[in-house]
Amino acid sequence: MNMISNYLRSLLSGRHLVIGVPYVWFVMLALVPLLIVLKISLSEMEATSVSNMVDWTHGWPTLKLNFSSYLFLTTDALYYQTYISSLKYALMTTAICLVIGYPFAYFMARSARHIQPTLLMLIMLPFWTSFLLRIYAWKTLLVNNGVINNILMSLGVIHEPIAMMNTPVSLMIGMVYSYLPFMILPLYANLSKLDIRYLEAAADLGASPFKVFCLITVPLSKAGIIAGSMLVFIPAVGEYVIPELLGGPDTLMIGRVLWDEFFSNNDWPVASAVAVVMILLIMLPMAIYNKYQSEQMAVKV
Amino acid sequence: MATAPTSKVVREDLLRVEGLTKIYDGAVKAVDNVSLTVGTGEIFALLGGSGCGKSTLLRMLAGFETPSKGRIFLAGEDITNLPPYKRPINMMFQSYALFPHLSVWDNVAFGLRRDGMPKDQVSERVESMLNLVQLSQFAKRKPHQLSGGQQQRVALARSLAKQPKLLLLDEPLGALDKKLRETTQLELVNIIEEVGVTCVLVTHDQEEAMTMASRIAVMHEGYFMQVGAPDEVYEMPNSRQVADFIGNVNIFDGIVEEDEADHVTVRCAECMHYVGHGISGHAGMSVGVALRPEKILLTKEKPTGEYNWCEGEVTEIVYFGVHTIYHLKLATGKVIKALEINNTHDSSDGLNDGLTWGDKVYAYWSDRAMVVLTQ
Repeated sequence: MNMISNYLRSLLSGRHLVIGVPYVWFVMLALVPLLIVLKISLSEMEATSVSNMVDWTHGWPTLKLNFSSYLFLTTDALYYQTYISSLKYALMTTAICLVIGYPFAYFMARSARHIQPTLLMLIMLPFWTSFLLRIYAWKTLLVNNGVINNILMSLGVIHEPIAMMNTPVSLMIGMVYSYLPFMILPLYANLSKLDIRYLEAAADLGASPFKVFCLITVPLSKAGIIAGSMLVFIPAVGEYVIPELLGGPDTLMIGRVLWDEFFSNNDWPVASAVAVVMILLIMLPMAIYNKYQSEQMAVKV
Repeated sequence: MATAPTSKVVREDLLRVEGLTKIYDGAVKAVDNVSLTVGTGEIFALLGGSGCGKSTLLRMLAGFETPSKGRIFLAGEDITNLPPYKRPINMMFQSYALFPHLSVWDNVAFGLRRDGMPKDQVSERVESMLNLVQLSQFAKRKPHQLSGGQQQRVALARSLAKQPKLLLLDEPLGALDKKLRETTQLELVNIIEEVGVTCVLVTHDQEEAMTMASRIAVMHEGYFMQVGAPDEVYEMPNSRQVADFIGNVNIFDGIVEEDEADHVTVRCAECMHYVGHGISGHAGMSVGVALRPEKILLTKEKPTGEYNWCEGEVTEIVYFGVHTIYHLKLATGKVIKALEINNTHDSSDGLNDGLTWGDKVYAYWSDRAMVVLTQ
């Protein structure tokens, strides 16, 4: 009796509450919806609703798992191509963000201490405007009679407008623009902690500045590179708004397919299956990477 | 400024620094017109408190700081404007700066690979370096898996691997605890002497400087106050600051009464000093008489004669194990420190010569115990 009341009391202690609240939040708003999506993907579409998973018609419960939605994904090349192109665009976004963001973060971290907060604020400044508004603004810049084409034509650089809008180019511009801060911030956090003595030691041992960068700076900022790449890659795979507003007919991305399945075709099981496969596509490499990382750690210790 | 003694053989100058100056923000002189020469095979120590400019001087030698004025010559070649990666100088960093993502082996091999040394030669050299510091069995480990002492040896192996003409040591033992420091200190000197490399060492620890270096430069506010062999700097300080910085010292203020070629006498408020050697001063001059605590003897019997003793009351007894330091309050209110070796068991309980708190004692010293400081 005493033990139980002690146990209950310890459950209500501040420590458990502090950890418990985000846990409950996570279970309610991430895990449960995810399970619902998984359940729908294994159901069948009936007139206006999805079928129940558990069937009681025989007087006892039978589990009805319907894999037809997943099979359907394999029959239509569209899905396969969309996954590939989603991954392709997400990878390209990540790579371009890394190439642009790394020097950016590097020089931010190396700049005088007192101007770093200002630089950091400039990185965050775009977030003060609505995301949709900023993507729309790109539209006015990129369309055939938009700002960029008009300026180039009036300068005589080009005679016909360059078709940028609704192409992979406009899509990549929008994606890189939107996700760049998510690459820069973790890289900056990492690089600003980099001990300058390692760079000096490498230079002292005869490494040119370029070699120092390749052999010391980059390997030591690996954690920042991985964090930034994950923060860009994962949301980029499932991105819907940017391909919808800036992409064109050839820029297939899984977010748009999802939308179509849910709201145009009203085929929730297939839409859910699309979503589940997408999650697996993102989670598998992460899980493999995590396992590899923890094995590395185990070797170290 | 004292000239360096030629305590050992006269050696060829390897490093020559002329009028080196570093000015920060247009005003702060971190290093102020420093000139020095270091002979081949010498271990030269830059000793001073924090902010004295010793690290800035070392960083200019390594090439991490550009001098505002002055030149640096290594083996006759002007290296003032060479970037660090082109200088035949290697440095052992304070707290070592071992690359955390590389193994011990790769850390040591790092510099050799940058020179484009063939693979088999690299491994030969790395192996011999690791043998030298007795860490061959740890070659595959990462730096964080090693103890402080082992890390220090890896850092030494790494900085010696390229056979630099000059080795710079930045507080080489600063990160080690006291017990380990003593053994490591000897080990370090042995290895350096075995390799025969010339060293410039930076430290704030006077013991480290005295035990390791063949010559010491005492730095203060960017300039050299005194350069000399350890015993010279300790026994013959040329100024109050040096006397005060190196070890403990009692300084009596007084006026020169007699100034002869073979002796001087100095009248102080506390006592009369008879110094058994001549000084570069004159009668009537205000001077300081520096007297180290270990050169003072204590007795309860009143000494005869008028020179080199004074009376005091024991106000403090500080026991160190090996020795005990007695604080004596003199008639003028001045407190002096006297050090007595605890050479018997019962001297350890504060009863040296039967002394205890509040006792009246006489402190006396020989005529060769003092240094007269004219500045």
